[in-house]
Amino acid sequence: MATREPVATAEQQAPPSPGNSPKTAERRAGRFGRLVSNQQFILVVVLVLLVVVFTVINPIFFSVSAAGNILVQWAPIVMIAAGETFVIVTGGIDLSVGSTLTISSVVAAFAMAGLTGSGWADGPTLVVGAIVSLGIGGLVGAVNAVLINVAKLVPFVATLATLGAGAGVALVLTKGGPIAGGPPSASGLSATIDNGLFSWPVLFVIVILVIAGLFLHKARFGRYTFAVGGNAFAATASGISVKRHLAKVYILSGLFAGAAGFILYLQLGSGSPSAGTSDELNAIAAVVIGGASLAGGFGKIWGTVLGALILETVYSGLTIINIDPNWNQVAVAILIAAAASLQALRGIHLRRKA
Amino acid sequence: MTGTDAPLYEVRNIYKNYGSVVALENVSLAVHAGEVLGLVGDNGAGKSTLVKVLSGAHSPDSGEILLEGVEHHWKSPHDVLEAGIETLYQDSGLAPNLTVSSNVFLGRELTVKGPLGKLGFLAQKKMDTIAHEDLERVRIGVAKSDRTVAELSGGQRQAVAIGRAVSWARKVIILDEPTNHLGARQAGEVLDVIRAAKAKGLGVIFISHTLPHVLEVTDRIVVLRLGKVVRDEPTSEFNAQTLLGTITGLISTQP
Repeated sequence: MATREPVATAEQQAPPSPGNSPKTAERRAGRFGRLVSNQQFILVVVLVLLVVVFTVINPIFFSVSAAGNILVQWAPIVMIAAGETFVIVTGGIDLSVGSTLTISSVVAAFAMAGLTGSGWADGPTLVVGAIVSLGIGGLVGAVNAVLINVAKLVPFVATLATLGAGAGVALVLTKGGPIAGGPPSASGLSATIDNGLFSWPVLFVIVILVIAGLFLHKARFGRYTFAVGGNAFAATASGISVKRHLAKVYILSGLFAGAAGFILYLQLGSGSPSAGTSDELNAIAAVVIGGASLAGGFGKIWGTVLGALILETVYSGLTIINIDPNWNQVAVAILIAAAASLQALRGIHLRRKA
Repeated sequence: MTGTDAPLYEVRNIYKNYGSVVALENVSLAVHAGEVLGLVGDNGAGKSTLVKVLSGAHSPDSGEILLEGVEHHWKSPHDVLEAGIETLYQDSGLAPNLTVSSNVFLGRELTVKGPLGKLGFLAQKKMDTIAHEDLERVRIGVAKSDRTVAELSGGQRQAVAIGRAVSWARKVIILDEPTNHLGARQAGEVLDVIRAAKAKGLGVIFISHTLPHVLEVTDRIVVLRLGKVVRDEPTSEFNAQTLLGTITGLISTQP
């Protein structure tokens, strides 16, 4: 050990002598810090605590049917929140997902009502409905991408525009009422299987979440998503087309909203013009509670999954313990503030380490 | 000193305006294989703009860009990287939220074999290993491959950026202020890296405010002032005082 300068040069001395005490200590502190600042670990603890508290107040909460109901509510929200996670990791935001969910479910409802009316069987009708729903979702995502890349709007403004437009179109098309008359067996599909925890849509969503998580955290697509959000210039300088990647991410978010729209259609058995109203806020809340940074560059699908689960647990739990549902918003506000504050504190912790 | 007579990488009569601001006016320069070209100038002289033109981040309004005598119209940094030209940007070339090896391989990730690889699934361990070896070869403050860049010191970050550029460069390497954030000893190591790149036959364009480094390591120096090349001479024609005088304009360059 010739020199004893700070980290940069200390690291360079090779091989490091065994039991090099400052380094070992630093590593130990790092491991401890990582556990404490691991947002997903904290979320699991919070979720368990919520379940315990609600169960103590009303034991009915701890039942398969209550949990199954939470998962049913969770499915469409976590779906749009998963798409939103990709968007937020790029440093953007997609405010349009609630509206996109609504309009895709409404348009799919019209298509399916038409097909059912002309004597189509339920199976093919549902397939067409799913394709229409995804198509509308992807279309709104593409419009967002064009507004951002070509019209040069910031994502907040671009997706605020499509939020308003989507909600408006849904109201005009439906004249404010639900669109029924689709395949009669639709709503049966979203019932839980054998009165257990899961329904087909929930299982579908879980599979999609696993795939989305793999693509975000283990594949090139996700690597680019993080790079764009961490330093867009570095991404460009490394040969990544930032515009093309952003377009893909907003279209993905639209497709996920379209899928959520179809899931919601199955649950309601009709297309409702208010189906996804303010769901974008639930989605963003789930992502933020899950530990993603609105500044971009950080986030985990697993965190979003837990964030959405905590939201729905709070909503369900407050209902089951007979608290005025208007308190929901307050509870969610507290969760968001706590999660964001945790993240800020962790940021300070990281900066001190650097 | 130069390997061949024909320049390896050359720009001719480059013009670039930002609105009404003239950033580059009739700029020409060339680097040969096995040559270190110094690019100096005061703040606002147009160095960064020129670097961005050379690296494909910006297109010039007019002028020619030639690699090995063939004219190119770079559409993006991607084209330039593919052609074997690497650029180290001042301060901003790394993604702080990604690990060292993710940065070294950014845009050129290795994927696993088979169908999963086609879907873009990453061979992360392989990249970690190779990135670590690459940085060790460069020998400027080797950082652990699986730490994020945000966790590194300024010197370590710079080392990662240099290691990345050096290990990918096949023809030309452009280094914009590579000795920033570095102590004297580490800066000396960067100069060694530049000499090694030159010995390998790469063309090196070295941009720096640290004039002793420029005088020490370059073969030729181009001086930019207010967007124009005011001198382009072998390094032996300069000393510390004349170089500083030329940069600041205290020494007249009108023939």
